[in-house]
Amino acid sequence: MRTILKLVYKDYLVLIRDVAGLAMLFIMPLALVLIMTSLQDTTFRAINESGIKLVILNADTDSLGMAIEKEIIRSSFFNVNREIDNKPPTEETMRNAVASGRYQIGMIIPEGATRRIREQVSNNVSRLFSGDSLVRPGTDSLFIHLYIDPATKNSLRSSLQGSIREYTAQIESRIILSELTREINKHMMLSVPDLNQMQQETIFYREEYVARGDKKSIPNSVQHNVPAWTLFAMFFIVIPFASSMIKEREDGSLSRLLTMPCNFTTIMLSKVTVYLVVCYLQFICIILMGIYLFPLCGLPALVLGGRLADLSIIALAASLAAIGYGIAVGTLARTHQQAAIFASISVVILAAMGGIWVPLFMMPPFFRQISVISPLNWGLNGFYDILVRNASLKEVSHYLILLLIFSVGCQLVALYYHRLRKEYI
Amino acid sequence: MRPGKSVIEIQNLTKIYRGSRNPALDKISLYIDEGMFFGLLGPNGAGKTTMIHILCGLLSATSGKVDIGGFSLENHLPQIRKIIGVVPQEIALYPSLTARENLSVFGGVCGLKGTVLKTRMDELLQVFGLDRNRKMQVGRYSGGMKRRLNLIAGMLHDPRILILDEPTVGVDVQSKNVIVENLMALNRKGTTIVYTSHYLEEAENLCSYLAIIDEGRVITRGTLDEIRKAHNSGSKLEDIFLELTGKNPRD
Repeated sequence: MRTILKLVYKDYLVLIRDVAGLAMLFIMPLALVLIMTSLQDTTFRAINESGIKLVILNADTDSLGMAIEKEIIRSSFFNVNREIDNKPPTEETMRNAVASGRYQIGMIIPEGATRRIREQVSNNVSRLFSGDSLVRPGTDSLFIHLYIDPATKNSLRSSLQGSIREYTAQIESRIILSELTREINKHMMLSVPDLNQMQQETIFYREEYVARGDKKSIPNSVQHNVPAWTLFAMFFIVIPFASSMIKEREDGSLSRLLTMPCNFTTIMLSKVTVYLVVCYLQFICIILMGIYLFPLCGLPALVLGGRLADLSIIALAASLAAIGYGIAVGTLARTHQQAAIFASISVVILAAMGGIWVPLFMMPPFFRQISVISPLNWGLNGFYDILVRNASLKEVSHYLILLLIFSVGCQLVALYYHRLRKEYI
Repeated sequence: MRPGKSVIEIQNLTKIYRGSRNPALDKISLYIDEGMFFGLLGPNGAGKTTMIHILCGLLSATSGKVDIGGFSLENHLPQIRKIIGVVPQEIALYPSLTARENLSVFGGVCGLKGTVLKTRMDELLQVFGLDRNRKMQVGRYSGGMKRRLNLIAGMLHDPRILILDEPTVGVDVQSKNVIVENLMALNRKGTTIVYTSHYLEEAENLCSYLAIIDEGRVITRGTLDEIRKAHNSGSKLEDIFLELTGKNPRD
């Protein structure tokens, strides 16, 4: 016990004397969580709050063009511009402006669009009343031209196209109903009021985020991002941890300790203790930042719902997994460079596999299957289950067990390789 | 020196590194008596450090038997670690810790505590001329100061056997003098010392018994006089060394 206390004291001193390293251990994860959460929150708001820059050339002076423009402005999805460099856009200037990324989307409503759609609808309605077929080969189509910035993400583009289609469809149906009213009145000698007045939404959606028990959970970008990026940051402790092991091995102090009444397991146990405290402090700092600093930065506050103790247990298990991985990397790697490159790339891969960057349901089936081998996935699911699905600690115990098995497994690999090195190398 | 009377008994010790055809140590047998100042000499790559690493349990032997202080190295490593002190060739200290903090850690791991540890640290820091800098971080020490502290860390717990791998390499004359004088004093008090060096003149002055190894084999052994008699009486150790190991530089 005395030995381990002395070693913990040593590891603590080595850690706190490295001020730059210590600052990085805390500042970098905090910065990572703050930046990534802000970015994801901004992206979310950009779609919802007039963030998408759209330039429009409305050559149709009639109702279709005006209605589309009005709907687009009303939707608040878009930041609508009618000019480029204080001049009305032409097809060419619009194309160039979108291609250069100044606008995410450019829209051209052609001249006479309303007239053409009205004629087409009128013809169709007339044919309907005269008993003729509605389908006519070579029917004149109306093209609303959309220019899209290639850098715009596919998901965003699909969302934009869907919205624009929805507006045009609404307007088209309004014209159809108006024409239909006119034709009915004409053919039947009636005075039917405009059918548009009867048009009203009859299908509504009621959304509810469901969680276990009676808890009504309202997840936001913070609830989703803080656990994910906290785990990612915690796993990056692998790099300083492995480096400290390699440094100790290279300068001979590990060998010196091993010639004393002290074994490899004791030396590692001391490091695990110190770095576990560091990881937990990281976690607490991030949680405090989520609760108190995020609202000051215009982000939603992190809501723990009184589950700090349960979240702490998940955080400690994830920390042990990260530290175990660090021990394995530090033992197997021969140099600092090897450890740094392998650790950083492998953590990024494990994070990507584990659903830190892209939600699992959006991944291809193969990646969804292999995601279950990532410890970051276990940690993330544990956090989500507690934070937004209101699961009990017992219900996430299988994630805890997996994280601990991973940690112990990594340490056994390190121990085996340490013995192998003594035996054969 | 004979089996049964020695504090270190090495019998047919062989070490073959993975991927190597030639053994680093080839059936070496040596017996080191209690209180002896034993010098293990040899050119680069002769097998000195391999042997030191095996003696202190950092490496496993391929075959052979080693007993230290009556304990078998194979089965009683924890007991052996309590009676040996090791001074490695590297400056095996924590540069961000002060001299006292380093010694407190190593002394504590070796079982020293409280006033015993404090007294021992103060005593050795004073003897080796480091007491004024005891609160300075070791990273700011000069090369000679680090070497002296490196030695103190190995002898802090007053081991029965002190194993030194080139303890004076790269230090100035003053530091070397302090180290050598203190090693002699320690040996006079009864500590068995196993010492490797490239400084043959230093070994000549310090060691009561010498073994020269090359290519993993002992090529000569004995007191300095015995070695001189066996080879070229009256010549310097360096001449005998060159005669036995050749004049070609080693890797």
